[in-house]
Parts: sequence; C-alpha cells; structure tokens
Amino acid sequence: MPSSTSNFDFQRPIPALPWRGLLLSALLLTTLAAVAWELRARALGYAPDLNDTSDLWADRREAVQPDSVVLVGDSRMLFDMDLGVLEQGLGRRPVQLALVGSCAYPILENLANDESFHGTVIASLVPAMWLAPPPAPPYKNSVRALKRYHERTVAQRAGHHLGMLLEEHIAFMKQDDLTLEQLLKDVNVPSRALYHAPPRLPPYFATIERDRQTRMIPAAARPGPLQDRVKNGWIPLFTPPPMPAHTPKFVFEQIAQATEARFGQTAAAVQKIRARGGHVVFVRFPHSGALKELEDKATPRDGIWARLMQETGAPNIYYSDYPELIYDCPEWSHLSAPDATEFSQRLVPHLKTALTK
Amino acid sequence: MLFNSLTFVVFFALVMGGYWSLRSWSARKNLLLVASYIFYGAWNPPFALLLFATTTLDFWLGARIAAAPASSRKVWLVASITANLSMLGFFKYGNFLLENTQWLLARVGVGYQPPHLDLFLPIGISFYTFHSLSYTLDVYRGATAPTRSLRDFLLAVSFFPQLVAGPIVRAADFLPQCAHPPAPLKNRLQWGLFLMSLGMFQKIVLADTLLAPVSDAVFGNPGPVFQLDAWIGVMAFSGQIFFDFSGYSTCAIGAALCLGFHLKDNFLFPFAAVGFSDFWRRWHISLSTFLRDYLYIPLGGNRVGAGRAAVNLIIVMFIGGLWHGAAWTFVVWGLLHGLCLVVEHFLRIVTKNADWKETLPVQLGLCLVTYFFVCITWVFFRAPNFPSAAMMLGAMAGKIPVGEAILSGREILQVVSVIVLLWLAQWRLRHTSLEAAIARKPVWLVGAAWTLMLSAIILTQGSGNAFIYFQF
Repeated sequence: MPSSTSNFDFQRPIPALPWRGLLLSALLLTTLAAVAWELRARALGYAPDLNDTSDLWADRREAVQPDSVVLVGDSRMLFDMDLGVLEQGLGRRPVQLALVGSCAYPILENLANDESFHGTVIASLVPAMWLAPPPAPPYKNSVRALKRYHERTVAQRAGHHLGMLLEEHIAFMKQDDLTLEQLLKDVNVPSRALYHAPPRLPPYFATIERDRQTRMIPAAARPGPLQDRVKNGWIPLFTPPPMPAHTPKFVFEQIAQATEARFGQTAAAVQKIRARGGHVVFVRFPHSGALKELEDKATPRDGIWARLMQETGAPNIYYSDYPELIYDCPEWSHLSAPDATEFSQRLVPHLKTALTK
Repeated sequence: MLFNSLTFVVFFALVMGGYWSLRSWSARKNLLLVASYIFYGAWNPPFALLLFATTTLDFWLGARIAAAPASSRKVWLVASITANLSMLGFFKYGNFLLENTQWLLARVGVGYQPPHLDLFLPIGISFYTFHSLSYTLDVYRGATAPTRSLRDFLLAVSFFPQLVAGPIVRAADFLPQCAHPPAPLKNRLQWGLFLMSLGMFQKIVLADTLLAPVSDAVFGNPGPVFQLDAWIGVMAFSGQIFFDFSGYSTCAIGAALCLGFHLKDNFLFPFAAVGFSDFWRRWHISLSTFLRDYLYIPLGGNRVGAGRAAVNLIIVMFIGGLWHGAAWTFVVWGLLHGLCLVVEHFLRIVTKNADWKETLPVQLGLCLVTYFFVCITWVFFRAPNFPSAAMMLGAMAGKIPVGEAILSGREILQVVSVIVLLWLAQWRLRHTSLEAAIARKPVWLVGAAWTLMLSAIILTQGSGNAFIYFQF
C-alpha cells in the first residue's frame, strides 16, 4: 500500500518573471490610480460618506428596544426628520428605519409581529408606495433589508464594519453612483427599438450617518445642475411603466388582490401594536412642484390615504392641514437640511398630540 | 466568509502573517486548522460542529477499513458512504425527496402531506462531503494509507481555500503535503497573490458586474423575451458561471499557494472544448475526475461494451446533475450532458479514422457546436423551473410570437464583447496552461494587466455577492 505521505509530487509551476518587482509596480500603480479616482470623485462633488446599505439598516433594526420610537417609511421620512430635534421633543432618540424608494408595510408588519415591541411607530405614507405589491421594487427593498437583518452572518457584520471605516474616509466608495456597473450605464451606445430604459435613481445628493440621520447636501438644495438632475428623475420614477401587452390577465388580478389586501393587512398590523400598548402615527410629508401635481392626481387624498386612515383608525398628520408644515421642497420631494431641522421642530407638537389619541 | 469581502482580506492577512512567522510546522498546521474552522463558522457556527463530527467519523472509519480483514473492509466503507450520503441527503435532498414521494403517492391515489423540513443547507456541504469521502474510498482501494493524525485529516477536509466551493481536493493529494513544511519556492507568494487577483477579477468584475445583471434580468423576467434577448441572456450566464466558479477555484489555488500548498487546476479553458468529453476534461475537473474514478470506473467504465458504457455515462451524469442541486432541472441538465457524451461516443466510433476531423475549420466548427449545445443545457441549470426553461428555449428558437426587449444596446454589446474575447483567448490557449502563457508575455504587459485587474476590483466595490457554487 502506498504511503499517504509520499504519493503526491505535484507542484504548481511558477512563470519565470520578476514577480517581486511586478507586485510592487502593480501595487504602486493601483494606489496612484485610486488616488486619482478619489480626487476626481471629490471634484465631482462627492464626499466621504456611508452607503445606505441593508447592513446599515439591519444595525438600526437591532437597536430597536421594546419601547423605542421607530421611524418607518420612504425617503421623505429619511431626509425630513432631524433625529436630534425629535429626541429633544419626544424624550428619546428615534430609531431611523425608513428606506429610500420603499414600501414600509413589511417593516410595520415586522414590528407588529415582534411580540416584545410596544413602542411608537411614526410612519411616512406615500400612497402609491404603501400599496406596492410584493413583486414591485419598493416592496422588495424592504424585504431585502429585513432578510439581511434576519440572516446576516458574523463575517457579513465584520465586513460591514470594515466597509464603514473605509467609506467614512474615501469619497469614491459610492455604491449607487461610482461603481463600475453604474458607470457603464452612462456609456452612450445606441439603443434598440422597442427597448424602454428603466428610470434611473437620482444621483448622490445626501449624506447619511451611522444612525442613518440623512441630510440633503447643499448643492442639491440650491438651484443648479444637480438639483435639476434629481428633480427630473422623480416623474419617471413615480410613473411606473405599463405592463407588457402579453401579460396574462391573472397577473393583473393578483396585483389588484394584493393591493386591496394591503388595507386590511395595515389595519391588522396597527391593531397588533396598539393592543400591546404601542402607538402608530401616519404622516404625509411635504412635496411640491410637478411631483405634487402628479401625486395629487394619481393618488388624491380622499382615495388611498383616507381609506387607510379610516380602516386603521390611527392618528395621522397631513402636512397641508397645518400652514406651518407646508414647505417648498427644493427638488420637489425632500426638504433641505436646515428645513428638515425646522420642520422636525414644528412637527413635534403635532406628534405629541397624536400620541395622546 | 467570502473571498470577495473585506473580512476575508483582513482574515487572510492575519493568517498569512501568523503562519509564516511561526517556526514549528505543527504550530502552523494548528493555526491553519483553527483559521479554517473560523472561516467556516463565520457563516453559521453550529455547522462547524457538523463538519468536525463527519470528518472525525471518516477518520475513524478510515482506520477501521485499513485495520479490518479483507472480508469486512467493505462493511466499514459502506458505513462511511452511508454516513456521508445520509447527511448530504438529509440537508440537501430531504425536502426534494419528500415532495417527490408526495407526488408519486398522489399518482396512485394516496393522499400524503409531508412536513416541510425547515432546513438551512450547510454551505459547501457537497464539496466537503466529497473531500472527506475520497479518503475512505482511497483507503479502501489501497490508493492511500490511513493517516495517524486527526489534526492533519481535519485540515485536509476543512482547509479554508478549498472548503466551501472546491476544487474537490482528495485527501490523498493533500495529506502528503501535511507531512513536511513546504520547501522554499521562489516567487510562490507573489504568484499566489497574482492568482488571487485574477480570481477576484473574474468573480467581481467579469461575472458579477459585466454578465450577472444581464443573465439575471433575462432569466428573472416573468414573461417571454425576444429571441435576441434570450440568446444574450444564456450567453451571459455561460460566461457568468465560468468566471464565477473558475474565479473561486483560481482564488483557492492562489491562497493555498501563498500558504505553501499545491492544488491542481479545476478549469482548463473550457470554452475551447471540442466535444463534450473534451468539455468535461476542462470544466470542473476535480468533480469529473472524482466521478470518473469513484463511480464510472467501478461501474465498468467503457470496458463493458458500448451499450453498457453508454448507460454508465448516463448514470454518472445523472448523479453529477443531482450533485449540483435538489431539483429535476439539474437532473435534466446532467442527463442532457450524458446524452451528448453518448452521441459523441458513437460519432467517434463511426468516424474513427477520419483525418478531416482534425482540420482547423472542422475543429473550430465542432468547438462552436459544442458551445451551442452547452448553452442549451445551461438553460435547465439556470431556469428556476421547467416552464421557465421551456419559455426560454422557445424564445431562443424564435417560437414565441410575443416578448419583450429587456436588454439595452449597451448590455448586448457588453456581453458579446466579453464572450467573444473569452472564446478567442481560450481558443488560443487551449493547448497550453496559464503559467506557460504568462511566462511568454512581456513583463510590462503582465504588470499592466495586474494593475488593471486590481484597479477594476477597487472600482467595482463588490457588494459581496455569493459565489454560485456555494449553494451546491
């Protein structure tokens, strides 16, 4: 019988090249290229800042205590709330769980199903987003974050914390804008007939901190090319493309059923939290310009909003009912950083009133 | 832990620093063993215990096989095979078996509602089961002696570069390397790092960035797509799975080399394959040779007549398909490969002494025909179910009158460019090796390529997508 210690004589060949010099040259040139790319990114207006990843969201979800104040919803909740101001006004610092471009219902449902949770949920409600069916991107965004919260591994946690250390010092680490995949989308190749390009998400126009305090950057708050790019992106994003002509009828029926079911599901989730002594408050945040016209037309207040408020019986704040809460959003959808701080101060008394109901 | 993650970069730097600073060979192996279990446990700690338990069992059974008289050695081997395949079957195929039992019983009028086993699939279980099983099989065959060191055997099975997604390294190939510290070898570290860079580039840039978005869009589209979109989607997947898996193997080989261990190639320019038997000599070589040595040859191989050899091929490819996943789509993928191998086998008999087969145009044509059929089989591998596969094949054949144009001109150009360049490169290199090809290149070109790969990896800022073969 051959010995297990002597029957393997395979050795990988190594090409005869000056590898030490090659390694040093490659490292040096790569470092120079990275520095050049960093300078270019900063010249384009990017700053060292975190990416709003599912890991960052999962960190905050883990921070939720049984009696926490939790903010859920879409990007308006994320941009328009000053966590420090709310902490002063409500007595404890809220946990920011809102997600850009998301339907917040899965998050509300997750909190409702958390038997230990009996705190306060303040939810931003953009009607079209709230009713997004499961296959739609807004719903998937929330599900993806929840999946990460439930399933992330020790290695993923470690990678996330290492990644944050880099992101806080390197401007070009922008996963939504400056990755190779995103940059390739800007390559101008003639498109095909019948191909409809999906709407692009807005470019970098906000900073986010570890507690997910988000603020619009000054360049987006003042008139200029960045503000125009952000502004012009909303209408296509809020106008979903038509379903393909060959879509089977049952798909439309499924979507209609899922949409209709959301009213009852929301009411049930609210009821669960309230039954444990918790609170849920819905807020409609300011928006303006052509985006407001579109939303008012597509989802008028007496439609989805009114029915959801009626079926949930939850206290709510509709910004336009209170003159002090009406703001002009510089890019039609969100408040500038100074306005967000002021708006939060003005919202606190209304929240306090709502929480007593 | 993923190779393409910051966590791994830090982990590997720490392991390398510790490993080469230790003088004692035994201490180095201890460090590698602990590191390998941390690498695995960082995903799901309890499954590291499962890995330890199954490996220890095979270590003990290997000793029993070697010590037993000839009449009872088979019993110990059967015990090892049963234990390994039972564990694999429970975690990987439990729900699949229950669902199919339910279906079969329903056909004969028996209503049965099986419980759904809410199981996590231990990552890389198919790989480490084969690592471990190769040991008892080789001890039984007399191809290797049992090791006396449990630590060495634990390391052979769990060695982190190849633990979760291969290559399938046989204990007989790894254990001898544990006997002595690696001999000094000039430029081992730098060449290992180059291979790791190449593997990361394949995975992060080529697979995840340039190809995966296209194949995901096409295969994930709920409705039919245009013929062009369908073909581009399948071509994109053919490149994605190659770069994904070959990238992992190349990283594993490079990481092992940095630590002084030599792993064999797992891919050898498969896009240049002329025929399916050539394809399987170039694709996932460690699996195809494992199945050849431990299944095909024991079944009689091709020494038992043409008809029986054809059946053997089909059986082996059936198992090979099922190894990849608990779904009938994978089985069909394997069976189609088996069928193509059988057809090719008979064509070889018919055209036995034909010189025209070896001419360049015919070889080129056969290579393209091979790629065409390999692409057809990938549809079953990638599609989530048979209706989706049928819809995709219908679109590729132009048999579906409606559809969507879901790919932009840029995406089509991107996929075609990558696949054509890949094919040209592999065709040129088909009779050589990566090492020989690089040795012939000018130094400046190798340096520029390395810089370009590292820069592209940084630019891509990979989001840590899992390797496709992790799920197997």
